[in-house]
Amino acid sequence: MMRDDPIRRLPMALSSLVALALAVIPLPAALDFFRPDLLVLVVFYWSIESPRAGGLTLAFISGLALDVINGVVLGQHALALTLMAAWATHLRLRLRVFSLLSQSLTIFALLTGYQFILFWIDGATGNPVTSFGRWFAPVVGAMIWPLLAGALGRLNER
Amino acid sequence: MVAFRNSDPSGRTSGLLLRCVLYSLLALGLIIVDKRYDHLGKIRRWLSIVAYPAQLAVESPFAGWHWFRESVSTRDALREDNTRLQAELRLAQFKLQRYEALESETVRLRALRTNTSEVATRFVIGDVMDVDLDAFRERVLVDKGAHDGIFVGQPVLDAGGVFGQVARVEEFTSEVILISDPAHAIPVQINRNGLRTIAVGTGDTSRLKLPYLPTSADVVVGDLLVTSGLGGGFPAGYPVGTVAAVKRDAAQSLADVDVRPAAALDRSRELMLAWLRPSEVLPPAPSPATPTRAAPAGTAPAGTAPAGTAPASTAPASPGKPNGGQPAAAHAAAPAAKSAKAPAAKPPGGRTP
Repeated sequence: MMRDDPIRRLPMALSSLVALALAVIPLPAALDFFRPDLLVLVVFYWSIESPRAGGLTLAFISGLALDVINGVVLGQHALALTLMAAWATHLRLRLRVFSLLSQSLTIFALLTGYQFILFWIDGATGNPVTSFGRWFAPVVGAMIWPLLAGALGRLNER
Repeated sequence: MVAFRNSDPSGRTSGLLLRCVLYSLLALGLIIVDKRYDHLGKIRRWLSIVAYPAQLAVESPFAGWHWFRESVSTRDALREDNTRLQAELRLAQFKLQRYEALESETVRLRALRTNTSEVATRFVIGDVMDVDLDAFRERVLVDKGAHDGIFVGQPVLDAGGVFGQVARVEEFTSEVILISDPAHAIPVQINRNGLRTIAVGTGDTSRLKLPYLPTSADVVVGDLLVTSGLGGGFPAGYPVGTVAAVKRDAAQSLADVDVRPAAALDRSRELMLAWLRPSEVLPPAPSPATPTRAAPAGTAPAGTAPAGTAPASTAPASPGKPNGGQPAAAHAAAPAAKSAKAPAAKPPGGRTP
């Protein structure tokens, strides 16, 4: 694996950085509810594509970055993202042979699990979010998954 | 599937479970430590320095666009702006003439009641950064941080009124929680009759509510709410909002009151971060040995408000000066100071022959 590590990690880091920037870019309030968790999708993609290149480490670090940028309790996104990335890695062999629709549905389940863990930690740490808005993100995320996976696959071909 | 290059899909990811458990425990530990103890402030601040370039990078196109729009604004627009601003300035100066007299009068009246409510003495202007935080919480990021002396709990105002308070401080940025956040409450007072209550955020930037007013409370649509200064977090007397709707249901014991915030919570780009200092308090009444001397000194300020203006208005103009005995003594000696003699640092009682 050492042979192709340098090739593998650059697109990984780049796409994660871009996704992180897109996570905080200001949107009109109406669109804000439908902002997908892009960084989470990117982490899922790399967990499925090259699990040995450090998908879990990427997940943990990306989660910490989200925590710092969102200003929530440190470790919240890191825990959710680590668990879900591990699940995605576990499912990767099946995901590869799934049809697009099944893939999107699986991703939807993963994203919902991710939001549920965030929801749970929010409640446990005493600042619950009561609005329904956060449950839109998994739907939007599952819908853009085919596009994102295609784009990242193209990036990875280079 | 086209997306996956499929390097070695069958390759076993040895230790996946182990790493997953390890990272999860690490994250859980972080959550607990961050929540229970406040030891992570340093780490968080350090991490935020790393995140700052990313936030700047996201903000820069927007800042650039603002700069561009300002640079190409036409001469006519500038002239129009100038005329309007000059008119506003005239009006403000006109109001200010009265304000100084009123301020000194207020300080004296407060002092009579030995009220220690705080006054804002120093401001720093902070720009709201074009960075979106959590979409479900009412927070903004401001480009001033621990580096500039910002502290947690610092009151934040905009041109219209109270905006919020600082919730978290990083090295170069700080996070301001808006008064409309559902987790935020601010002690207020109805300006018309002094009725005190608490305004709570709703999660909607155009609405606050007053949940603790009984149906019999004297509140009508259009009432101005100002900060009461209770609790010490906010300076007293700054506008918070106006009452927009009052619903009284005979079956309920509490009225349903909606408030429209005075600050432009969703539009302001420049915020004022304020430093508070307790307002001066008169020293305790002089010793009973000089009742005849003390009487004019105590009653004079009420009658000679304009004369007492000078020392009272210079006192708040010296920020950083601790609220020691000297300003208070100078203030009490205001009528005596009219004879152009600088007041001594010793208490007024010591000057009686």
